[in-house]
Amino acid sequence: MDKLLRDKKAIILFVAPAFLLFTFVLFIPICQSVYYSLCDYNALTKPVFIGFENYRQLFTADKTMKIAFKNSLFFLIFSVVTQLIAGLILAALLTNIKKGRNFFKNVYYLPCVLSSAALGLLWMFIFTPKLGINQVLAQFGIEGPLWLMDTKGFIILPMWVIASVSLWQYVGQSMMLYMAQISGISTSLYEASYIDGCTKVQAFRHITLPLIRPMMATAMSLNAIGSLKFFDLIFNMTEGGPNHQTEVLATHLYQQGFKFFKYGYASAIGTVLLVLCLIVTFIINKFVKIENYEM
Amino acid sequence: MKKKLLSVILSVAMVASLLVGCGGKTETTTESTATESTAATEKSESTGEAAPAASGEVQEITWMFWDDLDATEDLISKGYKETVDRFNKDYEGVYHVTPITTNLEEYYSKLNALVAAGETPDCFIVSPGPNLDVYVDPGVAADLTDYLKADGWMDTFNGGEGAFSQQTYDGKIYAVPLNIAAACVFYNTEMFATAGITEMPTDWDGMLDACQKLQDAGYTPLTISAGTAWCLSMLAGYLCDSEGVDLDALNGGTASWLDANVVSAANKMVEISKYFQPTAAGDTNDVATANFYNEEAAMLIQGSWAIAQINGSNPAFEEKCGVFAFPGTDGRVIAKSDSLAMSATTKSPEAVIAFMKYFTDDTAQKYTAEVGGKIPVTKVEYDASKAPAQLAYVMDVFGNAKSTFGFYNESLASTEAGSTFDDAMVSIYLGTPVEEGLQTVEDFYENNVWNK
Amino acid sequence: MSKTVKNHNKSSAVVKTLIYIFLSILAVIYILPLLWVIFVSVKDDKTLFVSPWSMPEKLMIENYTFAWTAGKLGVATLNSAIVCCVTLVLCLLIGSMAAFAIGRLRWKFSNVMMTYFLTGMMIPVHCILIPLFTRFAKMGLTNSLLGLILPYLTLSLPLTIFIMTGFFKGLPNELFESACIDGCSIYKIFTHIAFPLSKTGLFVTGLMSFVANWNELLLAMVFISDDTKKTLPVSLSKFVGPYNTNYSQMFAAIVIAIIPTIVVYCCFSNSIVDGLTQGAVKG
Repeated sequence: MDKLLRDKKAIILFVAPAFLLFTFVLFIPICQSVYYSLCDYNALTKPVFIGFENYRQLFTADKTMKIAFKNSLFFLIFSVVTQLIAGLILAALLTNIKKGRNFFKNVYYLPCVLSSAALGLLWMFIFTPKLGINQVLAQFGIEGPLWLMDTKGFIILPMWVIASVSLWQYVGQSMMLYMAQISGISTSLYEASYIDGCTKVQAFRHITLPLIRPMMATAMSLNAIGSLKFFDLIFNMTEGGPNHQTEVLATHLYQQGFKFFKYGYASAIGTVLLVLCLIVTFIINKFVKIENYEM
Repeated sequence: MKKKLLSVILSVAMVASLLVGCGGKTETTTESTATESTAATEKSESTGEAAPAASGEVQEITWMFWDDLDATEDLISKGYKETVDRFNKDYEGVYHVTPITTNLEEYYSKLNALVAAGETPDCFIVSPGPNLDVYVDPGVAADLTDYLKADGWMDTFNGGEGAFSQQTYDGKIYAVPLNIAAACVFYNTEMFATAGITEMPTDWDGMLDACQKLQDAGYTPLTISAGTAWCLSMLAGYLCDSEGVDLDALNGGTASWLDANVVSAANKMVEISKYFQPTAAGDTNDVATANFYNEEAAMLIQGSWAIAQINGSNPAFEEKCGVFAFPGTDGRVIAKSDSLAMSATTKSPEAVIAFMKYFTDDTAQKYTAEVGGKIPVTKVEYDASKAPAQLAYVMDVFGNAKSTFGFYNESLASTEAGSTFDDAMVSIYLGTPVEEGLQTVEDFYENNVWNK
Repeated sequence: MSKTVKNHNKSSAVVKTLIYIFLSILAVIYILPLLWVIFVSVKDDKTLFVSPWSMPEKLMIENYTFAWTAGKLGVATLNSAIVCCVTLVLCLLIGSMAAFAIGRLRWKFSNVMMTYFLTGMMIPVHCILIPLFTRFAKMGLTNSLLGLILPYLTLSLPLTIFIMTGFFKGLPNELFESACIDGCSIYKIFTHIAFPLSKTGLFVTGLMSFVANWNELLLAMVFISDDTKKTLPVSLSKFVGPYNTNYSQMFAAIVIAIIPTIVVYCCFSNSIVDGLTQGAVKG
């Protein structure tokens, strides 16, 4: 058995296609882009090596980078925390009802399968003062705020709005992952706890939560990486505006690389993003320990 | 077991051969097309431009454009489609052009990727100003001066060489303008009459006065979009220019963005902003324009391309819509043109030039005026009665203009500088103190323009 | 005693009702915006701006016919289907092979390999766009569907491997041992035992990669120039003009574009749920 599983030829055969594809299509371009991050490069002329100049500018002179960094971190924390809580609550509620469970589950999961670009456009429409939600509020005599243009406060209103929309779109994914894990817990555990006089809330706190910890780590890692790379919704709802106030790392990268053609500079942002992803994944896996890479 | 092993190996081999095979295949095809087109070039050089080539030696060129030619509702884009079809029909068997279309959002991403890969489209549309600089500086765009001067092509343009001022670098012309749009104030004649405004404002006080009268009559005086930054920046551009802001001095570093004239322009913008529609901060360009043609606001500051959108969405509004020049600018008008550039590495320059000429011939230019509602670049005679009513007014404005200047966001040192200016104006409108807002532009210039 | 039980039942009934009310309100928040899209797609642009929330006065079915013909949505749907299906099949095959090797076979570098694949999930696609495009242009892969399939496939691999490794690890050991005793080769174990047993996992990952690729815009926009090879998201963006947008027609096109995903999703959603459930139980 062990010998069979250590078959070198088989291992190479199994891994080779994925490895080759990955290396040629993804890894070499990544390395290239890391090299570009050390260059003055606009995609139209040959890259000129300038060392760490791009990074120096990024961290010392670029004001938008500070905003983008702040917003990305806000986004990261917001989405990891809210997705965890809302996902768990929904999962707990849905596992406790029978009638209509599939219906609700499907409805909440639906936005996950739709294009976030199209959904971003839709929500942009809804938050446009002339068209959407403010018109409904006006019927009740309430003057709605400028959902996507307000710039007051440390974390401005548009960021909260976009973060809530992303929660709306992606909470289904977390919910499904948690539900899947919860339904795998043996019912006898719960029965025993009820006999001991536990309430449902207590049972959730002392049985469910500890048992789905590994899934929490996986879901949180996926959320964290997803929220750092987050692009489509913001781009379609505010394009980073007003005045770069809703810029995150990915949109800043896009603006610099594809609007102003500072491709080397954009690659530097991309490298920062990659490093950040690695650190966050490492931290999550360190503190919410998981064994292996299991769902 | 062997069968399974075989299938696994096969799948690996398949992927590998796909990669290798495709690489090999295209090399040969590009080679063959290369020889083919050089042969064709030689031939057309020896026999003259419109010489019918032997079958199978059609010169293929590509043209890149920022709107889909079938799905568009933009009348100018529709006109371009007609031009392309006409060209392909007339030159059947000799030249053939294939349009490559994207939307404006991804246009430059794609164009740059193509340039980076050495596959620059033979002909591409571009906005003059820093957008064109980007392609002129590294030699991506070809010098067109000789072609323009060769056979009197340049003389067909209104103003001769002067028509190319925005496309000229060191005395060489790198792009051909196709049409001109002017930024004007569109107004609702009915609302103006009700408010008792009989004379169009000609100076700043008159403008504020008109706004006040409209507001007193219960109308929203002005609809504008701050959600789409360049719309607000168009107003800011006019205000800066009328305050005598000198862009060359700013770009050259001899003037500052904190000078009194810029500050005063920004203050004027704040002054008039109380007459904007209440939702201006969040409205996009489309919404702001809709406010105007749906008769919810009395004035709209827009480029003349909006004529098609206005008349198309609400045909009944055409007769109520008037146009006047932005007041207080001392006869200067913001103008914008679409321009065509040719790739410096194209294999069929004759085909590209022939194609460009189709955009500036009488048929196309007539269409530009009569249907598209933009100002033609050539001295073409067109039937003014067919053109949208507003075009005559725009032509008046344009004809009376002493001089023109470009869109502010397309006239600054770089696209990023333009975008910084737009953003600063939006943030000032949203309540940032004027000096603080202008400081961001000043900082950008200090870091990226003046010390380079 | 019986009284307390009754009370207990009563209060739990109240709680149940509250839960249902809460879930229903939430469901409305989910469905309403999506219904609104359909609503908008049968209006014309003018009334859309005047009264966005009113009932459409007359049904603009033209929006749909225009979107379908002018947007060339037919051929775009076909292209999207080809690209996504081919990618899907290859991704599941190649991904689960690698996942099997990482999750089940014993070798020194399996964890390193896993980390290597995981970095792929962290790269924003904008970063690799230009290097990838130049490379593909040299190989003549741009402007062909194959040129889209390869990056889509590669970008889908990390998630597939991530999830499938978990599935394979979760399969009971005894299965493999008995197969081994029966003299099965490692390849036969993969094709006859591991692969069929993780059908549900394949389903979930397949759906995820299919949806991601179905909605992908940037690569498709940059890599494909030929009108007959454009995919659905690219065709949707055709309705965004340089100065104005045909909102109602674009929404009509969006509705056309999301119908296949919704149909696929509704048909299979219960198996998806089961798939996730099983995957988790095993993992």
